[in-house]
Amino acid sequence: MILLKRLIDWIDVRVGVREVVEKELTGYLLPRNINTWFSMGSVLLVIFGIQVLSGILLLIYYVPDADKAFKSVTSIMNDVPFGWLIRMCHAVGSNTMVVVLLLHMLSVLFMGSYKRPRELNWLTGFILFTMVQGISLTGYLLPWSQLSFWATTVATNSANAIPVVGPALVEFLRGSKLVGPATLGRFFALHVALIPAGMIALIGAHLFFLKRTGVSTPPFGLQNTTNQWQGDSYHHEDHPGGIPFFPNYAMEDLRSIFIYLACFLAVVFFDPYLFFPKDAFIPANSLVTPAHIKPEWYFLANYQVLKIFPNELIGLTLQGAAMTFLALLPFVDRGKECHPLKRPLFLLCAIGGLLLWIGLTIWGHYS
Amino acid sequence: MDRIDHMGALFMRHPATVMKSSAALARYVTCCLLGGALFLMAVTPVRADEIVCITCHSALPEKYGEPVKLWKGSVHAENGIACNACHGGDPRDAANAMKKDRGFLGAPKYNNVPEFCGRCHVGVLKDYLSSAHGRALASGGPNCVICHGNHQIVKASLELINEKSCSRCHSYERAKLIRGAMQETEAMVVAIDARIMAFKQVGTDTERMEKELFATRNRFHSLFHNVDVKKVIEESTRIKGELKKIETALAALDQQSHTHKLVGALAVAGALLAALLAHLLRKTFD
Amino acid sequence: MEKGGRRKFLGICLGGCVAGIAAAVLYPVYRYLAPRSGSGATARVEIPEKDVPEGEAKFFEYGGSSAVLVRKRDGSLVALSAVCTHLGCIVQWEKDTQGFLCPCHAGHYTPDGVVTSGPPPKPLTKLPFTVANGSIRIG
Repeated sequence: MILLKRLIDWIDVRVGVREVVEKELTGYLLPRNINTWFSMGSVLLVIFGIQVLSGILLLIYYVPDADKAFKSVTSIMNDVPFGWLIRMCHAVGSNTMVVVLLLHMLSVLFMGSYKRPRELNWLTGFILFTMVQGISLTGYLLPWSQLSFWATTVATNSANAIPVVGPALVEFLRGSKLVGPATLGRFFALHVALIPAGMIALIGAHLFFLKRTGVSTPPFGLQNTTNQWQGDSYHHEDHPGGIPFFPNYAMEDLRSIFIYLACFLAVVFFDPYLFFPKDAFIPANSLVTPAHIKPEWYFLANYQVLKIFPNELIGLTLQGAAMTFLALLPFVDRGKECHPLKRPLFLLCAIGGLLLWIGLTIWGHYS
Repeated sequence: MDRIDHMGALFMRHPATVMKSSAALARYVTCCLLGGALFLMAVTPVRADEIVCITCHSALPEKYGEPVKLWKGSVHAENGIACNACHGGDPRDAANAMKKDRGFLGAPKYNNVPEFCGRCHVGVLKDYLSSAHGRALASGGPNCVICHGNHQIVKASLELINEKSCSRCHSYERAKLIRGAMQETEAMVVAIDARIMAFKQVGTDTERMEKELFATRNRFHSLFHNVDVKKVIEESTRIKGELKKIETALAALDQQSHTHKLVGALAVAGALLAALLAHLLRKTFD
Repeated sequence: MEKGGRRKFLGICLGGCVAGIAAAVLYPVYRYLAPRSGSGATARVEIPEKDVPEGEAKFFEYGGSSAVLVRKRDGSLVALSAVCTHLGCIVQWEKDTQGFLCPCHAGHYTPDGVVTSGPPPKPLTKLPFTVANGSIRIG
């Protein structure tokens, strides 16, 4: 113990770590009425870490070649010791990441945390959300199974509806007229290099904005639940008399992380096939389309919207409009009130939108 | 019936099924003239729309159109073995598809059917020719399609030996004995097949087992053509021994997935315990 | 001070738990990365030379599967896997045509295992062998 203390002293006099700990951990005060929803960000960081690590491990045995990809994944699943575990963690993790991401976004929505001065937090978070969609979509192709091949064919094909440039865009996305080895090459590069690098940069920006603006105050259990920001000068939102991040809230973060891990491991070990239709284990064949090809569950609503409208352009435009509206929400919703029950119009729209999304997803699943 | 491609994929490389759009227009026009089948291009299944035989014949009346419908439900269709694999001809050139100089064979005469099928099913042909059925062919004995049907040819199974079918020609007694002797082995084959498929659907590499089962089943099913009761019983016993080996491999897989679940339960319990400890520790700071 | 003791105890438990989880993660990762020792290179089969006369083939078990030795008309020997590369049936030796035939879907191979017709996608796998003192050793 004495040795450890001397080591810390040695570092402290040079770098001043105790000051950093004091400022960023034990002296970093959070609102007294902070709740569990605020730990979703930490859970997401852990998930992202697991995805990166399991992804790097998979890269060791995965071969990004249309002739060898399926075989290499089969070999990871069957021959490499614990390969099945690492692959399942990566595949299940990509799904649970979307679940937690949705919870994170919903809690931010209902607690009004996206409101000014946190427009940039929301915007970077929203871009991260679309990047998660992108990394899921590109990763889906890599095992080169029937599911990968045809889901990618359908997904890239929807760009066809864009007037004038549509067909050229589809070909550009695929790198060839049809999904093929060229598509695998570019999706692989996007999945393992470009999108993760972009995500790391955006996570950095997201945390930087959080740090500079300060944690928002949840609107529950307070008399005044309006946004106090004046907008005249930069002002860090402090929480005097709040609870310290370490150890208090760090323990709450840990609790959320372990509860997440328990759920995640339960799926990985007991029913990872929740996310694997049987076409996922048949090698890609460009001449045979499987009967019921469906996108991943989080794209089912988008898929159903495209199917409802006779003209794909209408469906695509609607989706684009909805996404743009959500991305720019803090610029549209400029009210000061944060408590959801005091924002009836917001509550109506949010619950309506959520139900619509769930309804479309279920419809998409059974259609 | 979802064994989509492990067999078919190899055949799919045959030129017959692979063609690209350059010839498509010409094909299209010819077909409209021949069969008025314009709209059919869109509704025929993916693999089939690459072959002119199907594009035209689907639209033709009864005798000429029926084989396509039947074929679609066959084990051949399931594995990508199309018209030209048996009947020859050029599946890419509608105008000349059925010319002799393109290798078109047409339909075989009754007595030539075993030879026709036996070009691929050589082992079965040998067994058949030496059996009572095969020896009686010239004098009106059954050829392949009498039991297996034509075009809608399904995978051989014990179901083919039944009173209704056999008693078209003779009494069912001996056939019943043979079926009885093979019943148990057949049940094993079917059960193993189902278990292998279940493992395959969850990503287990079953290729080796599938091939073993395929080879064993083939040996077993060639017995169907033998009418020698004693030999059937002997061979069935030997084949059962080989099936037992596959069953052992399957049992090992079962054991493995059981172990995974046990480890999983421990992992989940560990995570929950850690969550509980974090929760209790958090409470001490209130 | 009771609270402090409780806190310390829980802290140690949680630390132990996290260490256990770390070990449980590291072990699979280590096994995943560890080089795998090649297995199956053990079995060897010896066959007396006189068992394989000219133009004949001798089938035997090798490495858990079927294999075949052929002495071609020119007297040279070939050792091959007897498993058809199409769907895994066992090929047959056709003495009159001096070639292999797969009875399942009529795949034909030369005595060297090269595909001459039918659906097999690849030639039969060649097996290494040595001849010494009138005995052929495969493997």
